[in-house]
Amino acid sequence: MNVNVNDYLAVASIIFCIGALGVLIRKNLITIFLSLELMFNAANLGFVAVSEYLNLMSGDIFVIFIMVVAAAEAAILLGIAIAFYREKGTINIDKANELRM
Amino acid sequence: MEALFYIFSIIAIFSALMVILVKNPLTSALYIILCFFALAGFYILLNMQFLAAMQILVYAGAIIVLIVLVIMLLNLAKAKDTIRDFHQMAVGIIAVLLLFAEVILYLNAAGESKPTGIYTNAVINKIGNTQIIGQFLFTKYVFPFEVASILLLVAVIGAYIFAKK
Repeated sequence: MNVNVNDYLAVASIIFCIGALGVLIRKNLITIFLSLELMFNAANLGFVAVSEYLNLMSGDIFVIFIMVVAAAEAAILLGIAIAFYREKGTINIDKANELRM
Repeated sequence: MEALFYIFSIIAIFSALMVILVKNPLTSALYIILCFFALAGFYILLNMQFLAAMQILVYAGAIIVLIVLVIMLLNLAKAKDTIRDFHQMAVGIIAVLLLFAEVILYLNAAGESKPTGIYTNAVINKIGNTQIIGQFLFTKYVFPFEVASILLLVAVIGAYIFAKK
């Protein structure tokens, strides 16, 4: 039984759905961020698998840019987490009910 | 190769599930590192060794270290969220099941498509994995490359402004 591109896409979709579930059901800001990273990585796996299947390089270049965006997003979100914790004393997102910090 | 694929899939899916199921955020961060290593294994199976190295260096080495630093800085390892909202959980599970069903239906309905590019595995191995990515980054994709550097600068300034008192 040979592994083809559909198997990689199936694994990527399972990981993406697990990440989406984590974003929807968890309340901890850090865990939600980790679930977002899971979704990023599932998309990366899809890009690389399809790019290898179609003999292109565009998907692999795209993965590098996604990593750049994920790193930028990590820095921003952790700054927000520190500011939020300083204001509220917790990182439960149910406490984020004001626009103003 | 097939055995490696199945081993990596089992590790990746198990660790992804553990990321969203354990209560301690520090344990979640450690499980996501395991998931990233399994994904790096997928990249090696897909003949993209450079991306596998970047996956481990950038994700497991930089982003997760930043997250673990923040968890320890804010002393969040004890902040477990024990309160589970069952209404929210039911809605979330139904939405994700629908999403998964749609994705699987789409994958089943997709037709065969022929490979269109010229970068087969033989060509990539002949030129060199890192060299071919570098050539693309500095010729065809040089404008997004420069925009990425601006984006990282903006992120540094933004993180400083947010975390500043």
